[in-house]
Amino acid sequence: MDDNYDGILAVVTDKIRSTVNEDWIQDFDIGPETRFNDDLELESIEFVKIADAIQAHFGTRLDIVGWLSGKSIQELIGLSVGDLTGFIAGAVAQA
Amino acid sequence: MSRILFTVPPLTGHLNPALAVAQALADLGHTVAWAVHARQLGDKLPPRARVYPLDFGDDGALDIAAPAVRGLESVRLFFEDYTMPMAARVLQPLEAIARDFCPELMVVDHQMPAGALVARKLGLPWASLVTTSASIQKMSPTLDAWVAEQYMGLQRGYLPPELIVERPDFSPHRVIVFSIEALIGSAHARVEAPYAFVGPARGHGRRQVDFPWDWLRPDRRKLLVSLGTVSRDRDTRFFEVIMAALAGMPEVQAVLVAPAQLVAQAPDNVLVRDYVPQLELLDRVDAVICHAGHNTVCEALSRGLPLIVAPIRDDQPVIARQVIDAGAALFMRHGKVTPAAARSAIETLLGTPALADRAQALGQTLREAPGAAGAAALIASLAAPALPRQRVA
Repeated sequence: MDDNYDGILAVVTDKIRSTVNEDWIQDFDIGPETRFNDDLELESIEFVKIADAIQAHFGTRLDIVGWLSGKSIQELIGLSVGDLTGFIAGAVAQA
Repeated sequence: MSRILFTVPPLTGHLNPALAVAQALADLGHTVAWAVHARQLGDKLPPRARVYPLDFGDDGALDIAAPAVRGLESVRLFFEDYTMPMAARVLQPLEAIARDFCPELMVVDHQMPAGALVARKLGLPWASLVTTSASIQKMSPTLDAWVAEQYMGLQRGYLPPELIVERPDFSPHRVIVFSIEALIGSAHARVEAPYAFVGPARGHGRRQVDFPWDWLRPDRRKLLVSLGTVSRDRDTRFFEVIMAALAGMPEVQAVLVAPAQLVAQAPDNVLVRDYVPQLELLDRVDAVICHAGHNTVCEALSRGLPLIVAPIRDDQPVIARQVIDAGAALFMRHGKVTPAAARSAIETLLGTPALADRAQALGQTLREAPGAAGAAALIASLAAPALPRQRVA
């Protein structure tokens, strides 16, 4: 699980960097605690693009948007890279 | 002629368009009264305005959410800690005011839901005033359900069940939006409502501000940089980055609306002022860098000026997306932008004719929109057709 988790975390981090594609993000320290809203200032449209890129990478049905729609507003505000990685790890393990 | 009761929250950006519409209605001969937080707004109302205060004792001064929050968190705080508690607090006083003034019509700001609920309970025709182009868009299932739940709680304690609806803040009679459809676009679903897009209200009420006009040079491209009054003093990083970018661009002059402490760091081609006469200044610059506040965006586009938008909070991310999608603006990430990225964005802003062309086209539509007078005519038409006059104003 840990290997799997770390591998998925690396993919998620890579997709964040390539989707945002600005100078600051290339050296920005991204980890499980990094929050999309407060720490990365990501727009929802960018989150959707990152989700699409992750989806394309794994090629399995992940339904990240469906997962998000079950979240409360507080969970969306605090959503972290670790939350997303954990969801993908669970979905990939089941696939 | 009708008796019309206006109610708006104690926020200048919501009061100003309402003032312009109320003036237009008064010019048509209607009788206007205001139900507002008089301590916060009283000095901004016309001298002989009929005012019913909504603040009593020491409970009138709800403050707007913490300045440091950003993004979705600021939206949550605005609803949960500001709009909804204020609505619960003023529902009964506002109903008493309406029963005293006996209006034929109500005009209610969309972030003054108590007014909407009172109009619904009393069965009055009423119009909603929507001061930002962001508010009519649906967001996401989670957020839309959260908003509906907020309104549901407010309605349950006040309205009979048959009058409860998902979005009580939108009038079923008329919703006046102070924007244009060309800016809002069609990418997102809207809350279903009888919209009229009247463009900016172009209200007055700005105070005189001194400005050293001879600092501006005719042989330079010129920028206005403003994050609006709420975020101006938030932190200085953004302004410092912009100044660092401009230090290497002597062909550009920029006026920064920023705290005076930054004056010492400003390069020769940057003027730091804590207040500016924004409308007059917009007449003399080539482009704008701003936080995507609705007023600043509309004022810039009305003059055909392209923008860089660096949204921070509230409705700003949505407005930023609208003006980017409309082709008249570039995005900048407020808390992350570097001097190199800022310089590159400014060069693109000033060097891309297509941005200015789109801004010009939107500006023409904004200038042709009917504004406050158009809103007033639509609101006046909501009055029930002529019955014998029962009351004397």
